[in-house]
Amino acid sequence: MRNRKYFAWMGFFLLVGMILTPQTRAEEAHYPPAANRTVSFQKDIEPVLRQNCAKCHARGKAEGGFRMDVRDLVLIGSNTGRVVQTGDSQNSYLTHLISGLDSSVRMPPSGELLSEEQVGLIRAWIDQGLPWPDGINLGRFKEAELEPREVIVPTAKAIHSDNPVDRLLESYFQKNEIEFPERVDDRLFARRAYLDTIGLLPPPDQLEAFLEDDSPDKRNALVEDLLSRNQEYAENWITFWNDLLRNDFTGTGYIDGGRKQITDWLYHSLEANKPYNQFVHELVDPVTGSEGFIKGIVWRGVTNSSQTPAMQAAQNIGQVFMGINLKCASCHDSFISNWTLKDSYGLASVFSDDPLEIHRCDNPTGDHAPIKFLYEELGTVDPNLPRDRREEQLANILTDEQNGRFARTFVNRLWARLLGHGLIEPNDEMDRDPWSKDILDWLATDFIENDFDVKHTLRVILTSKAYQLPSSSWNGQNDKNFVFTGPVVKRMTAEQFRDSLCAITNHWPGEPGTDLKIDNMVDGVTQTRSWMLKRDPFTVAMGRPNRDQINSQRSPYATTLQALELTNGSTLYDLLEQGAGRLISDHGQSKEELVHYLFFYGLGREATEAEKGMVLEMIGDEISAENVEDVLWSLAMLPEFQLIY
Amino acid sequence: MNRHTEWNRRDFLKTASAATLAALASNGPKEAFGNSYENPPALADTMIVLWMGGGMAHTETFDPKRYTPYEKGLGSDQVLSTFPAIDTVVDNIKLSEGLEKIGSVMDRGTLIRSYKAGDLGFILHSRHQYHWHTGYAPPLTVAAPHIGAWMAKILGPNNPDVPAFIDIGQRLDVGEGEELKAFHQAGFLGSEYGPFMIPYPDEAMQSVQPPEGMSASRFQNREKLYRKLMETSPIGEFGSNYHKESLVRSMDKAHRLLNSPASKAFDLSLEPKEVYDKYNTGRFGLGCLLARRLTEVGARFIEVTTEYVPFEGFDTHENGHSRMVGMKEMIDGPVSQLVLDLEERGLLDRTLIVLASEFSRDMLVEGKPDLIVKGQVTQPDVIEEEKFYGMHRHFTDAGSVLLFGGGIKKGHLHGVTADERPCKTLEGEIRIENLHATLYTAMGISPKYKLDVEQRPFYVTKDGKGEAVKELYA
Repeated sequence: MRNRKYFAWMGFFLLVGMILTPQTRAEEAHYPPAANRTVSFQKDIEPVLRQNCAKCHARGKAEGGFRMDVRDLVLIGSNTGRVVQTGDSQNSYLTHLISGLDSSVRMPPSGELLSEEQVGLIRAWIDQGLPWPDGINLGRFKEAELEPREVIVPTAKAIHSDNPVDRLLESYFQKNEIEFPERVDDRLFARRAYLDTIGLLPPPDQLEAFLEDDSPDKRNALVEDLLSRNQEYAENWITFWNDLLRNDFTGTGYIDGGRKQITDWLYHSLEANKPYNQFVHELVDPVTGSEGFIKGIVWRGVTNSSQTPAMQAAQNIGQVFMGINLKCASCHDSFISNWTLKDSYGLASVFSDDPLEIHRCDNPTGDHAPIKFLYEELGTVDPNLPRDRREEQLANILTDEQNGRFARTFVNRLWARLLGHGLIEPNDEMDRDPWSKDILDWLATDFIENDFDVKHTLRVILTSKAYQLPSSSWNGQNDKNFVFTGPVVKRMTAEQFRDSLCAITNHWPGEPGTDLKIDNMVDGVTQTRSWMLKRDPFTVAMGRPNRDQINSQRSPYATTLQALELTNGSTLYDLLEQGAGRLISDHGQSKEELVHYLFFYGLGREATEAEKGMVLEMIGDEISAENVEDVLWSLAMLPEFQLIY
Repeated sequence: MNRHTEWNRRDFLKTASAATLAALASNGPKEAFGNSYENPPALADTMIVLWMGGGMAHTETFDPKRYTPYEKGLGSDQVLSTFPAIDTVVDNIKLSEGLEKIGSVMDRGTLIRSYKAGDLGFILHSRHQYHWHTGYAPPLTVAAPHIGAWMAKILGPNNPDVPAFIDIGQRLDVGEGEELKAFHQAGFLGSEYGPFMIPYPDEAMQSVQPPEGMSASRFQNREKLYRKLMETSPIGEFGSNYHKESLVRSMDKAHRLLNSPASKAFDLSLEPKEVYDKYNTGRFGLGCLLARRLTEVGARFIEVTTEYVPFEGFDTHENGHSRMVGMKEMIDGPVSQLVLDLEERGLLDRTLIVLASEFSRDMLVEGKPDLIVKGQVTQPDVIEEEKFYGMHRHFTDAGSVLLFGGGIKKGHLHGVTADERPCKTLEGEIRIENLHATLYTAMGISPKYKLDVEQRPFYVTKDGKGEAVKELYA
């Protein structure tokens, strides 16, 4: 809308411009009015300058002799004189340029002009004396620190918790004037903990036992128990990793050997809770079974030079393990970070048997980048070594204990997965500010000090009060303004949703899409969990992504196509139809017993009287498969079922 | 200023409706910062892509060259077309024999003969189809949306009860299904804008009615129970949240779609038999009929495909001539009937029909004339068997695209190709970015429309550089 309005303005001004002679520009010109408020350099001005000006007037570029890396350079002006009259935007040449009234001298010189609102903000900034906080340099983008940081954990004040996360959170809450809320009740906690660790709903007997247990330490004991179920744990977390590492049973590339699965290696690594540094080491410097990650996806034909397997490896290592976006810097020096084309090629060259020629926007430059990891302070890769030794060196550097960013990136992903919203969002952009630097840094350092034990960090988070607070809602926009008040509501993954229905009915249809052999026979029933199946329209509609690209976060929101699939798709219909029969034979001794079972399993609670009445009415006098099927469907459609509160 | 204000408002409404549909996710696409494209006034409300999957030879269809009938001992280098040319209702447009009916409606549309497919090294169906449908060549670091998903995202549905992006006739569990899935999707736009897949048009009704085996009354009862449980759910105690709202809203939309009068459009059995028969050349023909019915109730974007399955359909690696006879029978009646029916209903003017293929074919030349491609079809210098009589190699230097309706010139011919091998584009070259720009512009979308994905701009046409071919508009 802003732009539309701006165009109307522009039309008007162009008319005015035609009438006025060029000499009359300053006093009479009708520029968009200055914004009528105090501007914030960081919020209002810096993004505009970075987006529109810095490319030619910062980072060593000085078109027209004008540089604007820092405030003093802006004041110096250009070859032709002052560009800004501090305090007087009406007479500042910059205002004239960015207003675009004169197409022969406008800034930016081509492409899109600033919006009326943006011009107004720049004017207000000039009028208000060009405020520019110390330390901001448009020639450089803000970078998060690399080293791990020891965090001094305060003593708990009002809360009872030894967990450093909680004590840091208490300080955070105090600063934000938030009262530390009470924890959720046992049943909600259990439902969260089960789904987040093993990806399944708490079975009624286990939930009942947990609720009846009156030992004060029972939540910690439950977490301990869940984390020790190695197979179920692996079968839940493998989905997270498959999305991140682009591992799937089908997809582009497989058709002619241009891709390789790592399922076997991945499953067993998770089952064994392989230390994260070793886990990543084996992905970067492959062992038998883990080669697929570095191999990437190879399409036949000529691909863009930014998409060769070596470049894919560099981009994926940057994104997944370091929260760095090298995609831009694979074609040209990045406009959104300090990473350069040379940095990307330097990393990619580790994975290339032959020297890689740098291509800028797919055009060969004749240059070659020196082989290196992004942060040379962490160590060097010897270009004279053969490829496999270089991969080893790189893996060592990447997973080094001094690489705090490596640990931060991962603990942030864990936090986001468990609490619905990362300490930093998006999870792939680790140069952004966390909402609690202390919690992030403490978790990362603690992770390193505990030998990269993933389950250790999971335990710390799961047993914290922070994890156990009542859930909150967040619309996913303007993450800069996020304030933590409790875990953000999550949606079950496609796999968790389907597994829940399979578990309730104890009906697990479907042929595995992988050769992986695991013992999943329970009481005579082979429980084939959803992650093992090939993508089908049902799980796709529920959010299982195409893994041709990295998927670090699935969308938490529902779509119409998904609702259609749930309402009339044959996969769910068949599953429920077949499952209902089994459900009746296992739990259909009485209608009341059945209702209790369905609610207790599906929602983790008893049905209210009103609900019981509605459901019993639906079931009718005689329990029939059809009616039970429909009750289960109705329950499964409820937000209370599909969401993790 | 009044005129401006009114114009702004109209555009604002359009933007707002699309914006309210936007998927909310922190890593999702964002309205790009400082957009300054101007969306053009729309010439059409609905777009129908008729996809000739597998590579349709231009010299055998819409760009006939010198005809050489089959005889044993024929030199391959003599053969440019295996069908004679026929006249159409437009004096300067000749088509290939077998396309008489399309020839009879050529006065309603434009024929482009100078489409040049992307130069992507090996000429591969799946990569070129990806390229045609997204405007970008794979692999990419972000998942590029299908052109239909862009339309769904930017324009929203034409009628809220009809999915905005409907894809008819392509099965994804055959042949190079994985490669097809890679572009039959909304990519970073989010699956809300993805295709509503109808692989079998005569079974389309199944996708908008209760599951097979469930009676209408049972379906209603089930829905009623869900609603009652929803309303009384104690989850209300947690207050409103975006996730819950999005779930409830999606179920409402699905329910509305399933119970809407518009859903009848999916039911081909409601069509009079003589009309059904006119279209019924198989799944493609019935797909055209379904597309017409969906257009009548307000579809936004529909693709109907002859279906791409390796070595089937237009993917003629042998017996090109005889198979082309069948393919023309498949498309000639339904395509022309679609044009006529829409015209009769007064819908053609606001419906943009595009018939296209990922690339063309030739008997000898594969790709660039000077580059030998590995693994190309064997073609003997002298044809001793009829199976070698046809266009069996992949050719990108020219291709035909048909446009009807939606503000497009009528009876117009664009582009010139060589009359001798290689029958490449000589004049009026159109590449995918400009073809797409022409289509987006006709639909009221600027070719520079973009969204920020991972802080980078992503445009509907590659790098925002597509330019509409203005002379194609009426």
